[in-house]
Amino acid sequence: MYILGIESTSHTFGVGIVESIGDEIKVIANIYDRYKPVQGGIHPREAALHHSRVAPNVLKEALRQTGLKFKDITAFAVALGPGLGPCLRVGASIARFLASYYNKPLIPVNHAVAHIEIGKFYNGFKDPVILYVSGGNTLVAIQKKGRYRVFGETLDIPLGNLLDTFVREVGLAPPYIVDNKHIIDVCAEWGEEYVSLPYTVKGSDLSFSGLLTAALSLARKINGKKELGNICLSLREIAFNMLVEVTERALILTGKKEVLLVGGVASNKVLKEKMMIMSRTHNARYGDTPPEYAGDNGAMIAYTGLLLYKHNIVIEPEKAFVRQRWRLDEVDLPWLMNY
Amino acid sequence: MAYELLGKGAESLIYIGEIFGQKIVIKQRVSKPYRNEIFDKEFRRVRTRTEAKVLIDLFLNGVNVPTPLFVDLKNYVIVMEYINGKKLIDVIEELNQEKIMIYAEELGRQVGKMHSLDIYHGDLTLGNILVTKNEKLYVIDFGLAGYSRDIEEYAIDLHLLRRNILAVIPDLYDTFFTNFLKGYRSSYSKDYNAVIKRFEEIRLRGRYVEERLKKRIWREKYIE
Repeated sequence: MYILGIESTSHTFGVGIVESIGDEIKVIANIYDRYKPVQGGIHPREAALHHSRVAPNVLKEALRQTGLKFKDITAFAVALGPGLGPCLRVGASIARFLASYYNKPLIPVNHAVAHIEIGKFYNGFKDPVILYVSGGNTLVAIQKKGRYRVFGETLDIPLGNLLDTFVREVGLAPPYIVDNKHIIDVCAEWGEEYVSLPYTVKGSDLSFSGLLTAALSLARKINGKKELGNICLSLREIAFNMLVEVTERALILTGKKEVLLVGGVASNKVLKEKMMIMSRTHNARYGDTPPEYAGDNGAMIAYTGLLLYKHNIVIEPEKAFVRQRWRLDEVDLPWLMNY
Repeated sequence: MAYELLGKGAESLIYIGEIFGQKIVIKQRVSKPYRNEIFDKEFRRVRTRTEAKVLIDLFLNGVNVPTPLFVDLKNYVIVMEYINGKKLIDVIEELNQEKIMIYAEELGRQVGKMHSLDIYHGDLTLGNILVTKNEKLYVIDFGLAGYSRDIEEYAIDLHLLRRNILAVIPDLYDTFFTNFLKGYRSSYSKDYNAVIKRFEEIRLRGRYVEERLKKRIWREKYIE
């Protein structure tokens, strides 16, 4: 059985193919192309244009790499949300077309669920406490009664947004990522001292807006590379400490034995290390995803599509609307029924 | 004084001991290896100080909390009365509907009293509620608590409780929350409706809430 997954929720257009023979599941292709803004942040229309431009080549490359043809694919999976409307529509249109034209089932996949499932798959986890951090999401989730339940989340802006906005406003980005490293990490290396910035944890929720405002207003008063470095260093330290604290709270409250870090910002080394140390102190197994599965990608959509398809979850192409705000905790997942 | 480790909290070690024949709890905030050292110390000092102050205020004003006994800011320690009870989160699934309603309403009353004193809990979850054998209910762990007159903080308490219930016992949410709010309303001395309105706003503020999008589309239609 072959499932082809299409991802286009934000800056990435990706296609992945998974193979399932007997009990064995393998990712056999994971091709993507990321839109990089020349200035400012992601412009939804520009990103959508990028996706429609690169789509044919990304699809062809995935097929070439696996030696498959469209007619060999068992079913097509697509991320219908959450994400940016114009971007989502590109992936959805292609998937609807492929499913109708080749008369194959179409599988609706939630992007956030896909991030988590690929992380569980990669680490062989059964029932982890999940910290999901990306440009658009910051949440702690656990699985309970057929769904991922949000244990805590940001009350305002997500982590990726905090880091990106800060480096953009102080004039360090774009580009946001250089040599697989976020500019905030480059900037943090210039710093030596810690400065005081607000730390806001509310139970298992957190808030980054106060931290961003304080860091930006401090950045306006200083000059010099070292002083800016101090702010980057402290901003990162506080933001990550907040994340680790809320994850730790969830871990203790639920008594689970696995900690999973997923999402685009999950490739950050400093965050990984803090999470690893925290997990170790509670004798919990720690796992994250390598960069090709941490950032947005098609393989995670294909893999989650496979799980859904095995539980007979498909959708008619004419009903496959995109859902910009399709929350993680609204998705019923049969394989979570027994938690 | 002999004491033994009772449990590990998110940020502290909890010991149980005895003094003058009375069982006591010793809560010490521990250093976190993932935190930078300077932050770590300041952080623990400030949180211990606030927690102690809140605990004393609540106790003196008749909210059901463990009696505070002793504070040591140098070692980040608070000593308080030991409550012999079980966490609500551990027993709630075995309780019958009627009991849940009674506990929920009582919790509402306690939280209403607390907010009337300009104090928010900051981590209001079923794991921080103890029920004793004679069915008395205690609110514990004021590690994230603080003072504020801003209804935002009160509404966040309610929001945290709602989300915790939805995560832990989704089927009992309606029963629990309706009764909780009944109790809350009866003991909260300020503007109840303002808190509830803000409480609803906070939910819609969450990431990717569909209703919020619908609202906006409506508004745009109207403007056109």
